[in-house]
Amino acid sequence: MATYLEFIQQNEERDGVRFSWNVWPSSRLEATRMVVPLACLLTPLKERPDLPPVQYDPVLCSRPTCKAILNPLCQVDYRAKLWACNFCFQRNQFPPAYAGISEVNQPAELMPQFSTVEYMLQRGAQTPLIFLYVVDTCLEEDDLQALKESLQMSLSLLPPDALVGLITFGRMVQVHELSCEGISKSYVFRGTKDLTAKQIQDMLGLTKPAMPMQQARPAQPQEHPFVSSRFLQPVHKIDMNLTDLLGELQRDPWPVTQGKRPLRSTGVALSIAVGLLEGTFPNTGARIMLFTGGPPTQGPGMVVGDELKVPIRSWHDIEKDNARLMKKATKHYEMLANRTATNGHCIDIYACALDQTGLLEMKCCANLTGGHMVMGDSFNTSLFKQTFQRIFTKDFNGDFRMAFGATLDIKTSRELKIAGAIGPCVSLNVKGPCVSENELGVGGTSQWKICGLDPTSTLGIYFEVVNQHNAPIPQGGRGAIQFVTHYQHSSTQRRIRVTTVARNWADAQSQLRHIEAAFDQEAAAVLMARLGVFRAESEEGPDVLRWLDRQLIRLCQKFGQYNKDDPNSFRLSDTFSLYPQFMFHLRRSPFLQVFNNSPDESSYYRHHFARQDLTQSLIMIQPILYSYSFHGPPEPVLLDSSSILADRILLMDTFFQIVIYLGETIAQWRKAGYQDMPEYENFKHLLQAPLDDAQEILQARFPMPRYINTEHGGSQARFLLSKVNPSQTHNNLYAWGQETGAPILTDDVSLQVFMDHLKKLAVSSAS
Amino acid sequence: MAELYVKPGNKERGWNDPPQFSYGLQTQAGGSKRTPLTKRVAAPQDGSPRAPSETSPGLSPVGPPLLSSMASRPPPMGSCPASNVKPTNFPVIESETLLEDVLTPLEQALEDCHGHTKKQVCDDISRRLALLQEQWAAGKLSVPVKRRMALLVQELSRHHWDAADDIHRSLMVDHVTEVSQWMVGVKRLIAEKRTLSSEEETNEEEAMAEENQTVPVI
Repeated sequence: MATYLEFIQQNEERDGVRFSWNVWPSSRLEATRMVVPLACLLTPLKERPDLPPVQYDPVLCSRPTCKAILNPLCQVDYRAKLWACNFCFQRNQFPPAYAGISEVNQPAELMPQFSTVEYMLQRGAQTPLIFLYVVDTCLEEDDLQALKESLQMSLSLLPPDALVGLITFGRMVQVHELSCEGISKSYVFRGTKDLTAKQIQDMLGLTKPAMPMQQARPAQPQEHPFVSSRFLQPVHKIDMNLTDLLGELQRDPWPVTQGKRPLRSTGVALSIAVGLLEGTFPNTGARIMLFTGGPPTQGPGMVVGDELKVPIRSWHDIEKDNARLMKKATKHYEMLANRTATNGHCIDIYACALDQTGLLEMKCCANLTGGHMVMGDSFNTSLFKQTFQRIFTKDFNGDFRMAFGATLDIKTSRELKIAGAIGPCVSLNVKGPCVSENELGVGGTSQWKICGLDPTSTLGIYFEVVNQHNAPIPQGGRGAIQFVTHYQHSSTQRRIRVTTVARNWADAQSQLRHIEAAFDQEAAAVLMARLGVFRAESEEGPDVLRWLDRQLIRLCQKFGQYNKDDPNSFRLSDTFSLYPQFMFHLRRSPFLQVFNNSPDESSYYRHHFARQDLTQSLIMIQPILYSYSFHGPPEPVLLDSSSILADRILLMDTFFQIVIYLGETIAQWRKAGYQDMPEYENFKHLLQAPLDDAQEILQARFPMPRYINTEHGGSQARFLLSKVNPSQTHNNLYAWGQETGAPILTDDVSLQVFMDHLKKLAVSSAS
Repeated sequence: MAELYVKPGNKERGWNDPPQFSYGLQTQAGGSKRTPLTKRVAAPQDGSPRAPSETSPGLSPVGPPLLSSMASRPPPMGSCPASNVKPTNFPVIESETLLEDVLTPLEQALEDCHGHTKKQVCDDISRRLALLQEQWAAGKLSVPVKRRMALLVQELSRHHWDAADDIHRSLMVDHVTEVSQWMVGVKRLIAEKRTLSSEEETNEEEAMAEENQTVPVI
């Protein structure tokens, strides 16, 4: 029999699902006593090279309040050609196309190995993908040039029939008309005045009935499936003109006097972009791509004034309620983000500047619509250029790794309800029998909209067990959940991915060991972390940390083995053993600590944390540390100061940074040039090995991380020192009496101290 | 056949800017991926840093030397267990690519498109080919760009549209500063030639039925 680890891995690979618990406590009361909620990380479009889509529509349960999709868990009467819905027990007739089915002739969706099926829908208009570039021109010459080149380059990476549009902004906002006929025209808007969608559409001439603006009707022949506006044209038609237009873009011509910031109308520019797409292509896959090199300084959505002597808000200002413009600006961008989500479009933000650019206020634009958020120092960096290129990477089929306009619909067995979701989504406010009254994350609904997603986009979904304690579930009973993701594939087809999973119920009193053994501590850590980060967006930092601590203590009380009031007797079983250290590192992470981070940086880190899959999220919580030496192949080592040894090279991956650190001796050897002597070729190879491994990580990661190559005593060694567990500090160095490892200058508590306190609290009879 | 190289990031403008990978490396299919570095060591339950596996075996039989003597002590000689680095062979520099070899076929291709493609588009392409010629003649194009252009033209003349298009993309990604102004003309030319030849083909033969990809019903 496979181990739970294998079971968990197989399920993740096949269904893109990781549950905190893989055997479910069978009553509400017992479930709440498990501390970590029943929840899962769902990667709706997980790449499945071995799963070709089927080319027919799914079969739905006929009960109007259910509409679950036929799946391997349904009971089938092959003779009567009936199937019983496993969620509502409705008996359904198979459609005529299924007349030939039998025990030996099953459609794919009834076979147990097809717990995940992708349907390719045969109907629906196919509108091309849309990319609307919104470009800040208040950039330094060097930056603007680099950005222009990246944009020109992107025209070669876009699908040839995609529609593109261009809006530029500085003090004014220009909407460029794209035509193949030589002369370029643009509509100029003032950057200070917000306009309603209606006004924008009127001014751009999008509302006149004579305009060839209507969307292609589904029934229309595919000769000219789309008639686009003058502002959005197919790449293959206007690539030459657009290349010239981009090439000719100038810096914002308005003079910026000494001591001033340039006037940047980001708020109005975005508003116009949203309004333009709203009026022309609602509910079709579209990306608004905002490229900005500084904070919005005028008009609606302004984050800071143009006086340089007034700095942009810091965490300190926010805590002191001294961030005058923050609320109003946030409100503006939230309004835009919600409209965009309603239209099914997404907004990417590429912010490249040394100072803050207002990501804190604008974050909702990317967070609510599933857009990307990229933060760099300059557009003329490989960090930006390559991250931007990677937006357009293709999968094993040659399709773009992007999908649009998805709705995620969740069905559950009666014993379960849906408490909420955390991820790049908005609620669709669909109430139903499987919606819980208790919210975790974005709740009160069984459906969410994810306007932009890729094969790694991952949501945390939280459930509630509602079965009453006195109504036991029969032995061997299983609970089921169905995830139905309806989306627009990058090839513009509509598709439906259906994943149906089931897990065993267990009575927590008699079968606690079963439940314990089926705990997935990695998934649990990420799911609890998402809850923590979600709370941190609205609550005070210390409150969130206290909440996390309380949950951890309760978990240890419940699942630790110990004698009351004897901390030394405390033990956790293997399935829980890593969980406390995940929480320790999470408490120190930039997702919950704002110290040393600007509000923009915090927003940026949290944005990525709320959408990555389990493996990447876990790297963010507890970075990976590998050690290279002459003693054997590279090996993972503790993220601890004791791992910093003179004769080792360390490779640390924090997701946002890749750090290579040479120990003292290694650094000295390198300085002495041993790597260049033929007899020490092995040393050369040792130096090279972590570089090669780092390169593999860099090649696959989105967004591009920063790359730090440092050594013992180097100033950038701080990136490593700030992440390792400070088991040796200047305070306890002499107590260790050994010279292995590196002491860290910090007053932070170490994992050891943390664990000591945890044990004390867990075994205490007082709590 | 794309270029495979890594060049350093722009440290001037970006703090700890990562290295930049060429188009060829970025699009390379997974191939022989090493095992991902995602393993973790569990801290012992008392939280102390010394896991049994962590006891350092010491540098060598001699035992760890004092810090001051470390610099003088050389690293051990011999083969390295951590090494799995393959030496990369770079092709020897080929003979100079000639402007005519690239430009003439492109102009020929453009000639073929006259009559099928709108005059304005042809003029636009022609303008960009002139720009290519001018920059090439002025010595503004680097050897890799010239070499890859020669390859592109070869693929174009063999009607390998996808290959030609891919080379155009690799040039746009790897050498955008050099080529952005005129490459779009070449891109368009590839597209026009492709439609032209597919039109000719459809005239000759029936459209092929597309293969259906369905999960088989047993």
